[in-house]
Amino acid sequence: MEKIVTAIMPGLCARVVVSEGDKVAKGQEVAVINCMKTEISVNSEYDGIVKSVVSKEWDELQVGDPMVLLTVDNNG
Amino acid sequence: MIKKILIANRAEVVSRIARTCQKMGVKTVGIYSEADKDSPYLSSVDETVCVGPSNPTESYLNIQAIIDAANKTGADAVHPGYGFLSERGIFAKAVTDSGMSWIGPQPEILLAISSKCYMRQLAVEVGAEVTPGTLNPVKSPEEVVSFGEAYGWPVFLKLDKGGGGKGIEKVTSPSKVAEVLDRTTSIGKAAFGSGDCYIETVVLNPRHIEVQFIADKAGNVVCLGERECSIQRRHQKIIEEALSPVVTPADREILFANTKAIIKKLGYTGAGTIECLRTQKGKYYFMELNARLQVEHPVSEFITGQDIVQRQIEIASGAELDVTQNDINFMGHSIEARIYAEDPETFYPSPGTINKVTLPKIGKNLRVDHNLSDGCVVPPFYDPMLAKVISWAEDRPKAVAYLIQALKEFEIEGVKTNIPINLRILEHRKFFDRSMDTGFIDNYLS
Repeated sequence: MEKIVTAIMPGLCARVVVSEGDKVAKGQEVAVINCMKTEISVNSEYDGIVKSVVSKEWDELQVGDPMVLLTVDNNG
Repeated sequence: MIKKILIANRAEVVSRIARTCQKMGVKTVGIYSEADKDSPYLSSVDETVCVGPSNPTESYLNIQAIIDAANKTGADAVHPGYGFLSERGIFAKAVTDSGMSWIGPQPEILLAISSKCYMRQLAVEVGAEVTPGTLNPVKSPEEVVSFGEAYGWPVFLKLDKGGGGKGIEKVTSPSKVAEVLDRTTSIGKAAFGSGDCYIETVVLNPRHIEVQFIADKAGNVVCLGERECSIQRRHQKIIEEALSPVVTPADREILFANTKAIIKKLGYTGAGTIECLRTQKGKYYFMELNARLQVEHPVSEFITGQDIVQRQIEIASGAELDVTQNDINFMGHSIEARIYAEDPETFYPSPGTINKVTLPKIGKNLRVDHNLSDGCVVPPFYDPMLAKVISWAEDRPKAVAYLIQALKEFEIEGVKTNIPINLRILEHRKFFDRSMDTGFIDNYLS
């Protein structure tokens, strides 16, 4: 099934640190948000494979905006 | 004489500059991004122009959009404020190439001093001490290893063109050199267009002392005293004061002499700041030249009675200074506290909407420079500083007391602020005893 890693703070996308096809573990940093010049890590809540990267550098983000899509086994 | 100034910045500094312009009879143009379209600072200027979307690279850092805004509104000068494009030589050059006055040092000086090694060499040439280290970029990892073996570990690797707290990496042992050098070089190439690094020894818990100066085209340089900015967190200043409680009259004489020698050697015109580290043993090392108005300039204004923005505008108009060093007397003591939109527990940023704001009572002992109003939005895209509260009194204990009183009166509802932290610092015995250093927050408040 598909899970979405979303922005936890508003701000600008500083970078996405994973690429399509990468294996990610629960708790792993997948992206970084620049909120008021402070960099904040966005971590995956699931073990999975990166299906696609939605955000790119300088994108404006609101809390809940999708950043990375993951493919997760059964109940994730 | 300058008639209309475009202020290429946002938030409190725009209102600060506009206030002096109004006093001088100079018109003002403010710029804003889409995120700032209703920001309080825009009511302090005569005209406003939208320069782009919220993303600062497309608005406040967009040189072409800002030059277009200046041309469209008929501005004959640009004041860059601090941060953003304020120290970018290419922006200053674009302004002067468009026939406008740049309120800051000459573009070619901004370009030259963006190299920290250039400034270190210049400081040494005029006899100022710099933090022990190299005066040129390192050529190999072996050079870093032999430096560390000679001076002791850890050492700092610093980017020649770094800034804003970026590009400073600590190397703890010889085995880490190659990795850190590689990483720093690539950060530098990506962020500053140069991967050159130089070495500095690590000064343990220094105090941060800086000299405010103004210089005109005739080569007159006047120092407006020093400021102490040792209370910092992650290289971000929180509390600043003037004069420094640790600098002696003899120290001050040397600091002023070094400042004047550096500025004269450069042929720099405008206002600026020479930043130094003071070691625990009382040595002063030149660190860098900040070629702009600084956030903490109001404490120097309070103790000297000078309007630094007015001096900047006069100097940019070609006027010679009508004050000499002998005319500058330091009166009383002034302290500034910066108010940031951040959670005082986690230090996380806290953007949002401010429902209600109650400002402290201003007067001859208190000044508040801010970008606040009921219902205003604090966007997540820019610096978290909301306001500066600055107190003045005949002596330091009274100035501290006024500032504490003001911070207790200051109420901001809707976003979290660091006011509780500021109060803890100001009420701390070590602060009262004047024995603070840059490790204060980590050592006493964590």
